[in-house]
Amino acid sequence: MISQNHFLILGAIIFCIGLFGALTRRNAIGILMSIELMFNAANINLVAFNKFLGSPDGLGQIFALFEIALAAAACVVGLVLVLAIYRNAKSVFVDKFNLMKW
Amino acid sequence: MQNSILEFLSNTGIPLVSFEQACFYSVAFFTCLFALLTVVSRNVFHSAVCLALTLLSIAGIYLLLDAQFLAVAQIIIYVGAIMILFVFVIMFTSRISDKAIRQANQQVFSSLLSAITFLFILYILIVRSNWLIPAVITQPLPSFTIRQLGSSLLTKYALPFEVISVILLAVMVGAIVIGKAEKE
Repeated sequence: MISQNHFLILGAIIFCIGLFGALTRRNAIGILMSIELMFNAANINLVAFNKFLGSPDGLGQIFALFEIALAAAACVVGLVLVLAIYRNAKSVFVDKFNLMKW
Repeated sequence: MQNSILEFLSNTGIPLVSFEQACFYSVAFFTCLFALLTVVSRNVFHSAVCLALTLLSIAGIYLLLDAQFLAVAQIIIYVGAIMILFVFVIMFTSRISDKAIRQANQQVFSSLLSAITFLFILYILIVRSNWLIPAVITQPLPSFTIRQLGSSLLTKYALPFEVISVILLAVMVGAIVIGKAEKE
């Protein structure tokens, strides 16, 4: 029997993998990919809660659906920002974006 | 036939796992494997492909959790739309998949340490906490169908549903404005 904890721990593992990626990547696109991983880990938790704790109107699944839409929106804005910065700084590596660093 | 196979398997001493468990562990293994490859791969394009495979595996996890609509939405939105966007941006920004360019910064060890510590803390929290499981858990929870999802999305949660469309419009306008090349 697969319990709720199995899914929660899977979500925690994926979240930590995404955290590691977001902390170590130099590439801005790689950082965005890691953030997508973290979003998905949160989604797994929501759907697992929906199944195991029971919700009459499926609040967990609806919340996960909204989160997919918001993650898509965040990803679009982030990628367009990366493109805009690339046009100016000619690089996608975040340690090159030190224009505002004192 | 099936009974004899099961009997043979139990005689060999191999621990029997149910079909559900086998599905869960294999899908979870592939999810973690591809997620790791996404994070550590040196070539950005390879990590984009691995991210797409991770998202597909997560759709499998949703299927195991009885969320069929969410699995399909995950495949359409993430694997179909967002990954195309990632690949386009990778192609627009040239010379980034070069082997000679370092992809990780100098904080690899401290990041690894903090990620593992955070995972450990999360594990302790998940295992130790008492979830508010309903008392009627003995009888199976009513399964939540796509019909119910659609009706509650358009009745009880109609306002957030509309707010999402406003946000998507704002994102579209913002992306066009930011991404537009400046005229000389």
